[in-house]
Amino acid sequence: MDRNQLKKWFKSPAKMGHKYSLHVIYFCTGCGIIEIPPSITTRWDAERFGIIPVATPRQANLFLITGYVSVKTLKPIIRTYEQMPDPKFTVGFGSCPINGGMYWDSYNTIKHLDKYIPIDGWIAGCMPRPEAIFIAVTHLWTLIDKEMADGYKKYRENYKYYRANQEQLYGKLEWPPLFAGKDKK
Amino acid sequence: MSISNGVNIWEIILSPLIALIIGIFFLGLARKIIARIHWRYGPPITQPVIDIIRMFSQKGISHGFIFDIGIILSLTGSFIVILFLPLGKMCPLSSGGLLAILYLMLLAPLGIALSSGEAANPNSSIGISRKFLLALGYEVPLLLILLAVMTHYNTISLIEIVRIQSTTGWSFGSLPLLLSGIAYFLILPAILGIRPFEVVGAAQEISSGPNAEFGGKFLAFSTIQHALHEFIGISLFVNLFLGGWGLFGILEPITNTVWSVIFGIIIFFIKMLIVFIVELFINAVFPRFRIEQAVRYLWKWPTLFAFIGLIVVVVVK
Amino acid sequence: MKSLKKKLESSFDNIRVDITKDNRLTITIKKDGIISILSFLKKLGYEHLALISCVDWIEENEFELVYILSAYMENDKEYTEKEKRSIIIKTRISREKAEFMTIINIFENAEPYERELHELFGINFEGHPRLTPLFLEREYEIPPFRKDFDTRKYVKDVFDKIPTIEEREKNENH
Repeated sequence: MDRNQLKKWFKSPAKMGHKYSLHVIYFCTGCGIIEIPPSITTRWDAERFGIIPVATPRQANLFLITGYVSVKTLKPIIRTYEQMPDPKFTVGFGSCPINGGMYWDSYNTIKHLDKYIPIDGWIAGCMPRPEAIFIAVTHLWTLIDKEMADGYKKYRENYKYYRANQEQLYGKLEWPPLFAGKDKK
Repeated sequence: MSISNGVNIWEIILSPLIALIIGIFFLGLARKIIARIHWRYGPPITQPVIDIIRMFSQKGISHGFIFDIGIILSLTGSFIVILFLPLGKMCPLSSGGLLAILYLMLLAPLGIALSSGEAANPNSSIGISRKFLLALGYEVPLLLILLAVMTHYNTISLIEIVRIQSTTGWSFGSLPLLLSGIAYFLILPAILGIRPFEVVGAAQEISSGPNAEFGGKFLAFSTIQHALHEFIGISLFVNLFLGGWGLFGILEPITNTVWSVIFGIIIFFIKMLIVFIVELFINAVFPRFRIEQAVRYLWKWPTLFAFIGLIVVVVVK
Repeated sequence: MKSLKKKLESSFDNIRVDITKDNRLTITIKKDGIISILSFLKKLGYEHLALISCVDWIEENEFELVYILSAYMENDKEYTEKEKRSIIIKTRISREKAEFMTIINIFENAEPYERELHELFGINFEGHPRLTPLFLEREYEIPPFRKDFDTRKYVKDVFDKIPTIEEREKNENH
């Protein structure tokens, strides 16, 4: 952890700010949410790394999707993701958002979340323990350092394809495109 | 360097800056102390600064012209109030005294209300209505308290009040103003917006209320405004009842030197710190009132104390 | 429970009543008798409709509807935990023509249960005020809880057909 190295703060304040002030919005879709209370309270105390839960997507910069994603909950997920201000990072928690997990042949669970919104990192396991969240956070720090956590840029560049995937699932979406007419090339 | 009628330009620059540093330090201290009360390690004390840097580097989403103007208005309002408050021996603007402060203190919530109203989030609207109801709750005792203080010292000037206290002793220790002091202490959590009066920005109920639509630099401004607001509430208490910069005549030998100004600020800061930590303990152990319970409480005990205090002051005089 | 069994057998035709456990009764009845037996039991104090469920007997080409009622009070006296009684009422309807009458007139809380059964099994409840979708976003040709709904084929056809972003980019550029 390089939080106390003043030289880095003067060199790239934005990057360091994002690293050590992760305001998280938890999307409590499935069973994953039971691992969150111990990780933010006394036992594991996420606040010592500057990680606190916030109430609205506008204030957040980390989006944690904990658990399986059904067709109906994907809509709020997309809308929440689009409401967060850039730069923003997403982490899929548990094996269900990765490839469906135990719901791999369910009639109502979308299997791969990264087909609809960009995901910067995954935490595998069913369930991952709270320690896994902290390991994920340290990995995310490395990614932010190397500027590899660029899901939000990818979403902006490839918005056409993401939107096409979303529309293939739903038929027609009720909200207008986020980046109108801003295609790659 | 001074402009025409005794206004010192260094004071105008330094006073808000020191207030800002103290306010943000208090925000960090609050998080650390509450974490320790929960038996957690807690964030570093510089965490609010990190948060503010992060918020400024994030892209803010504006909801229109009034949205931008409102938050600036509230920030400006808070800075202007600070110019009227004596900070130790520094007080950049002194004309108008308590009446000007009372009038200008309304600007900050008004700006936030404008801004959140433009955002048209239902949670923000609930938060704003709660904010004004709560303000209605604590303004009544606050007016009675200020009236008692002004009657007792026979002046509206805050500097004069602090100066008299340095010769006659703190008003919190003097018998006629004791009840008013207790009343102010009881409404101080409501002014600061901490528990048990955390009805405005309740994250669990109404998604942090008026802040619900603020992101990026708007949230940073809102955080700074919150820090300044905390400073204003506590420093008014210290100035009115705890004697401002005065501490048993410790500054008597070095009056009218630069050192007296510096030590004045330090003494003032220590007094504020003690008041703030006591309020933090109240914040950490109490649950949250509902808004109607809060208003009922504010109009019952603090108002009663303030009213009796006013009568006592008038009778003694 | 035994007296209740006798009472039921005497007042209804074509009925089979079993005592499956202490304080638990299972009634099997033809589908015409459902309304009358439900209102009969409601008058006896079984006022709580706990659940409406459905079983798909695909070999016999029939749906089995299951109504679960329970009673908590008798003569204004609450039962203890051991005395609590529940009654399970089963009836069968045809699978091809999956239609039945609604029981909202007797138990108002049947409304969401019937909506759910309509959505997941495709049973049409006559007289129900709004049989709109409750849980599902997509339209299914065969309602998904029927036994002949092939989930694996459905997943392959719908969710696996959606390409990843890289694949879609490659497809559109060539």
